Amino acid sequence: MTKTSRQERLLEVFATLADTLVDDYDTVELLQMLVESCQELLDVSAVGLLLADADGNLEVMASTGEDSELVETIQLAAEDGPCIEAFRTTSVVHVPDIASAPERWRGFKAAALHSGFASAYGIPMRLREETIGSLNLLRTEPGELNRLDLRTAQALADVATIGILHERALRASDLTRRQLQLALNSRVTIEQAKGVLAHTHDISPEEAFGLLRTHARSHSLPLGVVAERVVHRELIF
Amino acid sequence: MDDAFDSAMHGLADRRAAEADLASTVLRAVPVTGASVSTLGGILEKETISSTDPIAARVDELQFDLGEGPCWDVVAAGRPIFEPEIQTRPRHRWPAFIEAIQREPVGAIFAFPLSIGTLRIGALDLYHEGPAELSDEDARRAAAMATLISRYVMRRALRLAGEPDPSEHRHARRVVHQATGFVIAQLGLSPEDAYLLIQGQALAQGRTMNEIAHDIIDRRLSFTTDDGRIEEES
Repeated sequence: MTKTSRQERLLEVFATLADTLVDDYDTVELLQMLVESCQELLDVSAVGLLLADADGNLEVMASTGEDSELVETIQLAAEDGPCIEAFRTTSVVHVPDIASAPERWRGFKAAALHSGFASAYGIPMRLREETIGSLNLLRTEPGELNRLDLRTAQALADVATIGILHERALRASDLTRRQLQLALNSRVTIEQAKGVLAHTHDISPEEAFGLLRTHARSHSLPLGVVAERVVHRELIF
Repeated sequence: MDDAFDSAMHGLADRRAAEADLASTVLRAVPVTGASVSTLGGILEKETISSTDPIAARVDELQFDLGEGPCWDVVAAGRPIFEPEIQTRPRHRWPAFIEAIQREPVGAIFAFPLSIGTLRIGALDLYHEGPAELSDEDARRAAAMATLISRYVMRRALRLAGEPDPSEHRHARRVVHQATGFVIAQLGLSPEDAYLLIQGQALAQGRTMNEIAHDIIDRRLSFTTDDGRIEEES
C-alpha cells in the first residue's frame, strides 16, 4: 500500500467508525470491522479483540479469522499471555519473540508458534479508569511494530472502547457492566447461529460465519439481529 | 382460571422455586385431586421430588416398586397417557399396578413426560379421586407446565451432580454454543433447551460438554425428530 492510499484508507476507517457510532450499531459488527481494519492497515498478520466478563475473564469477541486454531491462540493469550497482562496492567504488552516468552505463558506460546506467529502485542482497551478488554496483534515476523502502526492500533482500540461504553454517558454509570454483558451475549448468539447454519447448509462453522455476515450486509441488518432471528428460527436462509 | 394458569407458569419458570412446591403449583391450574413430579428412566434416579399429598406420592411409589404404570410408559413413549377410569376400565395393560391401585382412592390418572429434547428425565403424574376426563385445554396446560418442570428438574439434576463446568477452557465455550446451534436446527428447540440437552447428554454419558459439543459439530452425534418423536443417532 502506498503512503497516500494508506492514509486515505485510514481516514476512511475512522470515518466509518464515527458513522457507526452516531447510528444504532451492532457491537460485534463494529468490533469485527475494527479487527479487519487493523489487519488491513497495520503490519500484522492476525488480530483479535477480547472483552472482559463480570468475573474479569477475557472472551474473544472478534478475530480476523474464525478458524479454531486462531481463536484458540487469541483465547490463550487472554488466559495466560499478553492480552490478560495488558488488561491487568492497563499498559501495552509487547512480546517481540514468542519463542522466548516467559514459561508461564507456555499454552499461548505453543499455540502461537504452532500457528506460525513470531511476535505479539496486547493493547489495553481503556477509557479513563475503566479497562474493558484488550486488542491482540499477532505477527509472523519477530521484533517491533513501527511506531505509527502501534499508535494507530491504540487509537483504533480507543475508538472501540468509546463505542462500547458510549451509552454510559447517557445513562447510569452501572450500565457499563450491562453494556459489556450485552456484547458478550451477542457473541454467544452468533456462535449459536453459526451452528444453526452449519447444520442446515452442511458447512463448517467458519463458513457459516461468512454466510451470516453476508446476509446481514445485504439486508442492512446488524449481525446480532440476524443471529438472534436465526437461532429463534424466525429467519431461515 | 387464566390467572391461575399464568401464575402457575410463572412460578414454575422461577429457577429459585422450591422443588417441594412444584406439584402444588400444578394443582393450582388443573382441576385434579393431586399431582406428583418424579424423575426416572435411565439417566436420573427413580425419585419423587414433589407431591401434593400422600396418595400422589403413593401412586409414584407403587409404579417404582412394580416397575410398571403410566409414568414408565410416558417416559418410554414421550407422549402423555390418559386413564380416566383406571379402576374399572384401564386402557393400558399394567396387571400388577392396576391390581394395587384398587386399594387406593384413585379414579383417574393422567401422566405427562418430562424431557429435554431427546432426554427423557421423568414424569408429571396427575390423579383424580374419582373417574374423570381431562379437557383438551387442561391437557394442554399440564403439558405446558411439564415443559417448564422439565427444565427445572434438569437443572436440579445438574446441580446435584456438581454441575460439571461447561468448560475448563474458554475457547471450548464457543464450540458448545456452536453445537447448541446444531441442536436448535436439528430439533427445533429453544437455545435454552438445546444447551440443557447438551448438558444433560454430558451428564448421562459421564463426559464433558466440550466432548459432546465436538461430537455434534464433527457430525458424529446428531439428533433427529421422527414422527413427532425425538430420536438420537450416534
